[in-house]
Amino acid sequence: MRHRFANLTLASVSYPLRMMPGLGWLRSLLGNRIGLIGLSILVPVLLLAVLVPVLPFADPFKTNVSVSLNSPSLEHPFGTDKLGRDVFSRTMTGLQTSLSVGFLVAGITLSFGLLFGTLSGFFGGKLDRLVMAGVDIFLSFPSLLLAIGLVAIFGAGFLPVVVAIAIADIPRAIRLQRSLVLGIKSRAFIDAARMVSATPGWLMARHLVPNTIAPMLVAASITAANAILTEASLSFLGLGITPPEPSLGNIIREGQMYLQEAWWISTLPGLVILLIAISLHLVSDGIREVLDPRARKS
Amino acid sequence: MADYAWRKLLQLIPTVIGVVTLVFLAMRMIPGNATGFMAGDNLSGDALAAMTERLGLGIPMWQQYVNYVTGLLRFDLGTTIVTGLPVSQLILEALPITVMVAVLTVLISCVIAVTIGTIAAYLANKGKKWFDQLITWLTMLVDLMPSFWMALLLMLTFTLTLGWFPASGTINFSDPGQMLQRIALPLMVLCAGQIAMIARITRTAVLEVLGEDYIRTARAFGLPQLRVVFRHALKNAAMPVITVAGLAFGNLLNGTIITEFIFSIPGIGTLLINGINSRDYTLVQSVILVYAFLFILVNMLTDFIYKYIDPRVRL
Amino acid sequence: MTPGTQMNPLLQVDQLRTYFHTREGVVRAVNDVSFTLNSGERMAVVGESGSGKSAMAMSLLQLLSYPGSVESGRVLLEGRDLLGMKEEELNHVRGGEIGTVFQDPMTSLDPIMSIGDQLVSHMIRHLRLNPRQARERAAQLLTQVGIPDSEARLRSYPYELSGGMRQRVLIAMALSCKPKLILADEPTTALDVTIQAQIVELLKDISTETGMALLFITHDLGLVARFAQKVAVMYAGRIVEYGSVYDLFERPQHPYTQSLLRTIPSIKGPRPKRLMQIGGFPPDMRQPIEGCAFADRCLAAVPQCRLEAPELEVKHGRQQAACLVDGGIEAVIGQTMPLHREGAEPLPQDELRVETRPVLELQQLTRHFKTDASLFKREGRTVRAVDEIELSLDPGQTLGLVGESGCGKSTTARMLLRLDTPTAGEIVVEGVDIAKLKGEALKSFRRKVQMVFQDPYSSFNPKMKIRDIIMEPLQVMDIGTREDRELKVQDLIRTVGLDTVYLDRYPSQLSGGQRQRIGIARALALDPSIIIADEPTSALDVSVRAQVINLLADLRERLGISILFISHDLSIVRHISDKIAVMYLGKIVEYGSADAIFEDPKHPYTQALLYAAPVPDPVAEEKRTIRLIGGDLPSPSNPPPGCHFSTRCPMVTDRCKQDQPVLEQMADTRKVACFHAS
Repeated sequence: MRHRFANLTLASVSYPLRMMPGLGWLRSLLGNRIGLIGLSILVPVLLLAVLVPVLPFADPFKTNVSVSLNSPSLEHPFGTDKLGRDVFSRTMTGLQTSLSVGFLVAGITLSFGLLFGTLSGFFGGKLDRLVMAGVDIFLSFPSLLLAIGLVAIFGAGFLPVVVAIAIADIPRAIRLQRSLVLGIKSRAFIDAARMVSATPGWLMARHLVPNTIAPMLVAASITAANAILTEASLSFLGLGITPPEPSLGNIIREGQMYLQEAWWISTLPGLVILLIAISLHLVSDGIREVLDPRARKS
Repeated sequence: MADYAWRKLLQLIPTVIGVVTLVFLAMRMIPGNATGFMAGDNLSGDALAAMTERLGLGIPMWQQYVNYVTGLLRFDLGTTIVTGLPVSQLILEALPITVMVAVLTVLISCVIAVTIGTIAAYLANKGKKWFDQLITWLTMLVDLMPSFWMALLLMLTFTLTLGWFPASGTINFSDPGQMLQRIALPLMVLCAGQIAMIARITRTAVLEVLGEDYIRTARAFGLPQLRVVFRHALKNAAMPVITVAGLAFGNLLNGTIITEFIFSIPGIGTLLINGINSRDYTLVQSVILVYAFLFILVNMLTDFIYKYIDPRVRL
Repeated sequence: MTPGTQMNPLLQVDQLRTYFHTREGVVRAVNDVSFTLNSGERMAVVGESGSGKSAMAMSLLQLLSYPGSVESGRVLLEGRDLLGMKEEELNHVRGGEIGTVFQDPMTSLDPIMSIGDQLVSHMIRHLRLNPRQARERAAQLLTQVGIPDSEARLRSYPYELSGGMRQRVLIAMALSCKPKLILADEPTTALDVTIQAQIVELLKDISTETGMALLFITHDLGLVARFAQKVAVMYAGRIVEYGSVYDLFERPQHPYTQSLLRTIPSIKGPRPKRLMQIGGFPPDMRQPIEGCAFADRCLAAVPQCRLEAPELEVKHGRQQAACLVDGGIEAVIGQTMPLHREGAEPLPQDELRVETRPVLELQQLTRHFKTDASLFKREGRTVRAVDEIELSLDPGQTLGLVGESGCGKSTTARMLLRLDTPTAGEIVVEGVDIAKLKGEALKSFRRKVQMVFQDPYSSFNPKMKIRDIIMEPLQVMDIGTREDRELKVQDLIRTVGLDTVYLDRYPSQLSGGQRQRIGIARALALDPSIIIADEPTSALDVSVRAQVINLLADLRERLGISILFISHDLSIVRHISDKIAVMYLGKIVEYGSADAIFEDPKHPYTQALLYAAPVPDPVAEEKRTIRLIGGDLPSPSNPPPGCHFSTRCPMVTDRCKQDQPVLEQMADTRKVACFHAS
C-alpha cells in the first residue's frame, strides 16, 4: 500500500534495468558514445601536453624579431607573436599548466568535499551547522571574485592560483557530498548495517562513500573544466600565471594588443581551452549516462 | 509575506557577519605586512609608518575590527591610497553602471532562455529530438566558451572589422542610444553565458514537470497540450529555474569583471582590477564586499519570488 | 446483468495493442486486448505490476507518454473510434465524456494551484459554465464526495489536504463534467486501509446514483469482489480471464486466476498451514514471449503451452479464459488444494503450549519526538509516536502488529532494534532490558534481534554483491574466519531457497521477491532469536507474496525463531500470527490471539479495520454489512483529547472525548482499550 507502483513509464512494463555497478562502468564508458567522443579529444590533448618537451616543437621562449607577428604557417601552426615566439609551442606549454591546474584543483576539491561533506552529512548536529555556515559564507562570493581576492592576497604564480581556485570550489563540493550523503543515509541499508552495530567508520567507508563517489567524480570533471577556465581568466586579467611563463590566459592577454594585426595570437589558444572544456564535459556526461541510464532519457 | 521577509532577513545576519569578518581577516592575513604589500618596495621606513598610521593599522586587531565595522555601517569605507579619494564615492559612481548592465542582462537572457528551453523540452517530450539536441550542444558550447575569448572574438568582428560598436569611451546615462551602442558587446557576451545556463535548466525543469502526474491529470481532462505547458508546466518549472538563475547571477558577476576589464567599462569590476594592480587594499576589500552583498541580495530576491509562486514554501 | 444488455455497449475495446519502443527494444505492454463495457456497468481490470493494465487504460484516452504508442486496435466509445480521432475532438472526450481518477493523489494534483482553480477550469471548458456557476458547482461536488466545509476547501492547496481528501478532490474532478464513464487507475493503492474502503464505497455509490460506468484498474483481487460486476484478469499484456465477478470467484478457469485466489489468505474461516504459492516471477516484458506467458509458473502446463499462445475462449457459460488446458490447474491438482474458503486443514492450535518466559516484553514503551523549537515558536510540539505500549512475544511464536500510517508501528520496530532510543519504558529481550544499553552490551544484544525491511529496493547497498550483503553482519561482528563466513553465507542463501550463483550478483539484478529472500538471509546471519518483519510483502507483487510468507513461516518452525510481523494487511497478519496487537496513533487499542480478534473484534477500530478489509468473495461481500468509519486519520502530532479514536468512532460518548481508556484485561489473554468493550 505504501509502495508506489510505477506509473506509465518504462518501469511499469519491465523490471528496472540497471547497469552493472562496480568498476564495469569504466569499460562501459568506452562503449558510451558521448563519453567516447570526450575521451577521444581529451586523451590526445593530454598526451600532446605531456610530451611537449620531447616533441620537436620550437622553443616556446626563444625570441626572433625577424618573424614577429607572422601568420599561421606550416612552420608556425599558430603563427608567431610580437617577439617572434612560436605561439603553438607556447600554447602547448601553457596547456601543460592549464591541465595541471585543472586536475590538481579537481583532486583537492574532491578530497576536501568527500571528507567534510561526509562528516557533516553523517554526523549532523553542531559540526554540520558549523561546516554549512562556513560553506554559506564562502558561497556568498561569486567564484571568480573569490579567486581574484585570494590571488590578490597570495600573489600570482602557479601554486597560489591552484590554492585560490580550489578554495573557491571546495564549498560547492562539500555541499554536494553532504546532500548525497543525506540521501543515502536515509536508505534502509544503512539501518541494516547499524542493526549489527556497524561503526561510523564502517558505514562511511563501505556504504556512504561508495554510493556517492560516482556523482562526485562527475562533479570533479566539471570542476577541472571550470578550474581551467578560471585559471585562464585570472591569467588573462594579469593575476594568475605571469609572463614569461606561458599560460593560455596570458598568451591571449598578450595577443589582445595585436588583435587587429595578428588575430591568431588570441583566438587559437582560446579554441584550445574551449576544446578541453568541452571534452571534460563530455566525459562527465558519459560517466553520468553510464552510471544512471535513466539520465539518457532527459 | 512580511513575516516571511523578516525571518529571511534574520537568517541572513550570520552569513553577512561572516562575510564581513572573512574579508576583514583575509586582508590582514597577507603574508608579511599589509602596508608593505601595498606600498611595494619603494617606501622608506618613515613613510611606511605614516601610512600604517593613516590606515589605522597601528592599533590592536579587535579595535581595527570595531573601527572597520562601524565605518561600514556609516558607509565610510576609507580613502584610496593612490588618489586619496573616498572609496564610497568611487563605488557610488561605478556601481550603477555594473548594476544596469547586470539587470539588462538578466531581463534579456531570461526571456530568450525560457522561450528556447521550453520549446526544446516540449519537442523532446513528444519524442522530436533534433531541436533539443541542437540546443543542448549549442548551450554547452557557449557555456564553456571562456568569456574573455568570446569578448575578443566579438570585438574583432564588430569593432575592429565592421566598426559597428565602439569598445571605448565614456558611459553617459543621459544618452541611452549612445550608451546602448557602447554596452552592446559586453551585453552580448554576458547574455550568451546566461542564456546558455538558464535555457539548459529550463529545458530540464520543463521536461521533468511534463512527466509529472498532474500534467497527465490535466491532459486527461482535455486541456490542450500547449495550454498544459502554459497553465501548469511553466509555473511549476519556474522554481528550479529561479533557483538556478539566482546561482547564475554569480556567474554573471564574474562575467562583469572580465567584460568591464576588456571593454573598459567604468564599473566596479574595473575598479577592482585597478585596485589590485595598484595594491590598494582599502578599495579591493570594499569592492569585494559590494559584490558579495549584491550576490546575497539577489539570492534573497529569488527566495521571495519562490515564496510568491509556491504556496508550500515555509521557513 | 441489467435488462439493457442488448443495446450498444458504451465502450468497446477491440484488439488493442500498445508497444513501448525503447532503446533496449520493444516492450509489448498490451497485446490484443478486447472487452466491452455497458453503460452503468462496473468493471475491474486486475493485474500485477507489468501486466500492462495501466498502459491499457492510458491507451484508451491516448495519454501514453513517449515512447509508448498504440499499434493497432479500436476503442469505440458509443460507436466512435477514439484512436482515429483528432486531438481536438479527443480533448472533448477527455474529461467531458470519460472522467479519470489516478493512482497517486499526492502527485496527481498541481501542487501550486488551488483546488478550486483546478476544478473550475475543466467545467468552464467542458460545460461552458461561467466562472461563478462553475465555482458553485465545484463546491457542490466537493460536498457530494464527502468533503466538509467545501467553500473554504476550494481555496486550499493540495498540500493542505490528506491523501484521502485529495483522492476525493480527484473524484469530484472526474465527476465534474458529467462523464459517461469513469476510469479509475489504482485509485486506492496509495491510501490507508480505512480510507481505501471509504473511497471504494464512494465510487460505488456514485456509479449507482448517477448511472456512470466505472472501469477500475487494480492489483487487489479483494477490492474487485467488493464492488465490480465484471472482471478482466491481465497477465503479461493479455487478458487471460474475463467474466462476471461471481463466475470468476466461484469457478476461476485460468491457472493464473486459480493460483492467485489460492495464494491470498482469508480473514475468515480456518487457516491453512501453508499458503499455496506460485513459483517463479512475472516475465520480462522486453523479451519476446513464446507460447503462453504463464507457462513457466503454471502447474497445469503441457508442452503445447510453450509453443502456442492461447486465445480467449468461452469456458463456462459466458466466462472466457485463455488456456489450452480445460479446467486449468484443477485438472491437475484436483481438490488437494481447494479454494481457501471451502475449508482447509486448520492450523494446530497451541499444540505444545509450555509455560515459557516470553523472548520479548515491552513495558510502558514510549517514544516522544519534539519538533524543533525555533526563534518564533518558543515551545516545540511533542509528538507521541509511541505511547506507553505493552506487548509480549513468546518463543517460536508470531506477534502481528497492525495499524495504519502514523500509528507508530515502524517507530516501535526501530526501538526494538535500538536504531532509536526510547523516551521511557523497557524492552526486555530474554530477560534483559535493552532500552538503555550502550557499547559492548548493546553490540551483543544486536545478535538477538534482526529485521527484514519493507522495501527490497532501498534495503541493499546497490554497490555491494549479494555475498557481501549477507556477510556484512558477520564481518562487522567479527565472527569466524573468512572461510567460515563463506560457508555460512552459502548455507544461508540455500536456507532461503536461492541458488549460490546469486552470491556474485548485485541487488539490481534480482527481482523484488528474490531480494526479499536475501533480506531474510541477511537477518538470519547472526542466528537471532527474534526477527522483526516490517511490511515485508507490501512492495511485492501479489503472486510473489505467498512465497515470502511461507518462507518466514517455515523458518519459524525449523529454526524456532520468534517473529514480530508488522503489516497493514489484515489477511496476511491473520495467516501468520499467533497473537495480534492493533495500534492506533501510538497506542495499542486491542491485543489478543489472532483467531479471537478476527472472530470477535472488541475495539471499534479493530472492527472498522475488519470491515474495511475486502474479502475475495463477492457472495460474502454482498452478505456482509459493511459499517465504514468516516473521517481522516488525525495527525499524530495533534491527536484528539481523550480516546484517540473518538473523532471517528461510531460509539463515541462524551466520556470518550475526555478520558483516555486504558488497555484492560478482558478474558483469557484479550486486552482492549475501550469504555464500550464489555
